[in-house]
Amino acid sequence: MAAADTRVRPEPGVAPVPVVRRRSAIGRFWPQYLAVSPFYLLFLVFGLFPIAFSIFLSFQDWDGIAPMRFVGLAQYQFLLSDPRFWNAVGNTFLIWFMSTIPMLFLALVLAFLLHQNIRFKGFYRVAYFLPNVTSMVAMAIVFGSIFSDSFGIVNSALTAIGLDQVPWLSSEWGIKVTISAMVIWRFTGYNAIIYLAGLQAIPTELYDAAKVDGANTWRIFSSITVPMLRPVILFTVITSTVGGLGLFTEPQVLLGDNGGVGEAGMTIVLYQYNQAFTQFDFGYGSAIAWALFIIASVFAIINWRLIRERDTPRGGRKKGASA
Amino acid sequence: MDALNRRRFLGGLGVVTGAALSGTLAGCGSSTSISADPEELVLWYWNRSVSPVLLDQAAQEIPGTDKRLRADAIGGGYDNKLRTSLAGGAYIPDIAAINSNCALYFPSEDQFIDLNEFGAADLAADYFEWKWNLGTTPTGRFCFWPMDTGPTGFYYRADIFADAGLPDDPESVGAAITDWDGWIELGQELRANADVAIINTAGMVFNQFLNASPERYFDRDDNPLYEADGSAVRDAWDTAIRASEAGITARLPVANEQNAAWSSGRTAGHIEAVWWANVLGDTAPDTAGSWRVAPQPVRPGNSGGSFLTIPRTCKDPEAAYAFITWLTTPEHQAETYNEVQLFPSAPESFTSGTIASELGFFGEQDPLEFFAEAALQVPTTFVSTYEAQAGAFATELANVEAGLKDPERAWDDAVSQTNRNLTKRGVI
Repeated sequence: MAAADTRVRPEPGVAPVPVVRRRSAIGRFWPQYLAVSPFYLLFLVFGLFPIAFSIFLSFQDWDGIAPMRFVGLAQYQFLLSDPRFWNAVGNTFLIWFMSTIPMLFLALVLAFLLHQNIRFKGFYRVAYFLPNVTSMVAMAIVFGSIFSDSFGIVNSALTAIGLDQVPWLSSEWGIKVTISAMVIWRFTGYNAIIYLAGLQAIPTELYDAAKVDGANTWRIFSSITVPMLRPVILFTVITSTVGGLGLFTEPQVLLGDNGGVGEAGMTIVLYQYNQAFTQFDFGYGSAIAWALFIIASVFAIINWRLIRERDTPRGGRKKGASA
Repeated sequence: MDALNRRRFLGGLGVVTGAALSGTLAGCGSSTSISADPEELVLWYWNRSVSPVLLDQAAQEIPGTDKRLRADAIGGGYDNKLRTSLAGGAYIPDIAAINSNCALYFPSEDQFIDLNEFGAADLAADYFEWKWNLGTTPTGRFCFWPMDTGPTGFYYRADIFADAGLPDDPESVGAAITDWDGWIELGQELRANADVAIINTAGMVFNQFLNASPERYFDRDDNPLYEADGSAVRDAWDTAIRASEAGITARLPVANEQNAAWSSGRTAGHIEAVWWANVLGDTAPDTAGSWRVAPQPVRPGNSGGSFLTIPRTCKDPEAAYAFITWLTTPEHQAETYNEVQLFPSAPESFTSGTIASELGFFGEQDPLEFFAEAALQVPTTFVSTYEAQAGAFATELANVEAGLKDPERAWDDAVSQTNRNLTKRGVI
């Protein structure tokens, strides 16, 4: 990100755009507009229209075929007093904490190890990234059998070392741990590769200077590596938040549309899917989607504030210069 | 590069975009059927729901008509795809298979043709009355034609029963479990003698109790029945709780584990429809030959089974009706059973002489004879559209079995959640 800071100044050699004729921008640049239009047309049809329509739907009662019935704010009223919705919100955040914190820590350690001079570097990078491109369905079957209550490897191992079996797929915490394990398995390598890119962007001069000054490994790690990696860490936290709030596939393929025993694996998006596409209650599904939008917005604002506040006091960085 | 300059490129782009847009608009305007060919009727179905041999025949010509059939096998999310077409009023199949959840379509019954217009009532006597009834909407329109059915029975491992010192031939087992108390007692003996469960979950008991009950969640006017004391739902709930408390269920809520429990012999029984033998044969082929099926407590029920329907936009409803009646004649249903093991909806299929039993999975026992007898005793009942809103009962039952909730609190929660859902949907 040091490079990004210098780019605040205009690049040399780029002249200001001259104002030649007083013609409208569309009249002058229509071929360019036409050339970029496919994306916007598609976005309009498949992106913006469904978004706008879902706002409209959230004020209706609709089963997908029969005529819609306007219900005003009833869907939102129901949502606020719906214990299943709040259970889903709680589950989503618990699973997000339980997966993101160990995942990012592991990823940082992996990236640090990969950054050392070791043999078969390329192999390890591919190997760590592989879980991210594995089929989710295959993965759910494997995890389902690994964590199987009475037939799984994990419980066999626990019994072998004299511990009690854990009902991984039929207890509230077991389900959350299993889903978190799936998320960690899938995204640790992905984040490690991003950290590795960040590590490689740190100038070696800094390390050399620190060594000359007699800093030990821990000092180097905490005073150079972590601060220099901070923007990358924030980036992974933001992407993990987005991914965590949208968690759907893992619980759905592992436990089905109802989120397992006690709905312990029911996440917000799974609940939305459940209501809209298995209960055919599209109005309520839309209301859940907008509730998720509000929750995600709150998190976006928190993230943004964190970045700004941390950026202002130190080292003469300008407000909003990074990110 | 001079062959493709900017002007030409943009001109070409314009033509392509224009063609695409006009094509889309034309599609929105006229094409309610998914096929533009007037000689062709389109059937939507899913794999193994119709006999492929009969489909091939109809693809040449639907007997008795001048039309041909195009059969589109539709993958996952079948209901979502069909509902999307119906809601959009475009690309609708001329004939559609619908699963046992046909009640889901009752509020939009005007989307489908009343088959009585073509004289369906004259053929009613050829089919199981209870199945015919399931395809009739609360307003009395007959929109869903009976395809296959799913009479249920009590499956059990005869070898494990024998080792545990229990009766192991279907007659004695059936005699021991004429009511649910007898079944629970048998389960307790099995648990005591062999430490084996008689069924995997309490939820299975609950479901199959209701599937065999003439009363379900709602009456024909969609008034809720479950809350009343002594309702069928409450009886099913209490029976399931008793089974769970007696310790005769394996308490395995996850499908993976259930299959493992049956194939490893940790669970020695199940109550399910005729099609379950195929599922089990595929997942646990080693256990073939050791299973038997006995009459379940009280009476058999129905689980699964599908229907055929003609959307009102059908190009040629008369030809479509000719197709569905031809496809489901007793002879053709017997043929379909021999090919893809769909259990017939017409009793005559069993006496026509062409239906063939597949022995082996049930040892010397003839499953066809058993289920044909069971199908005659399935009670007539009413499945409401709004049963989908009553999923809380099964969920809460699983919570009780997992030890998360006390049974009475779970029941109250299930009732209040269902009532809340129904209030939201404007039903009560």
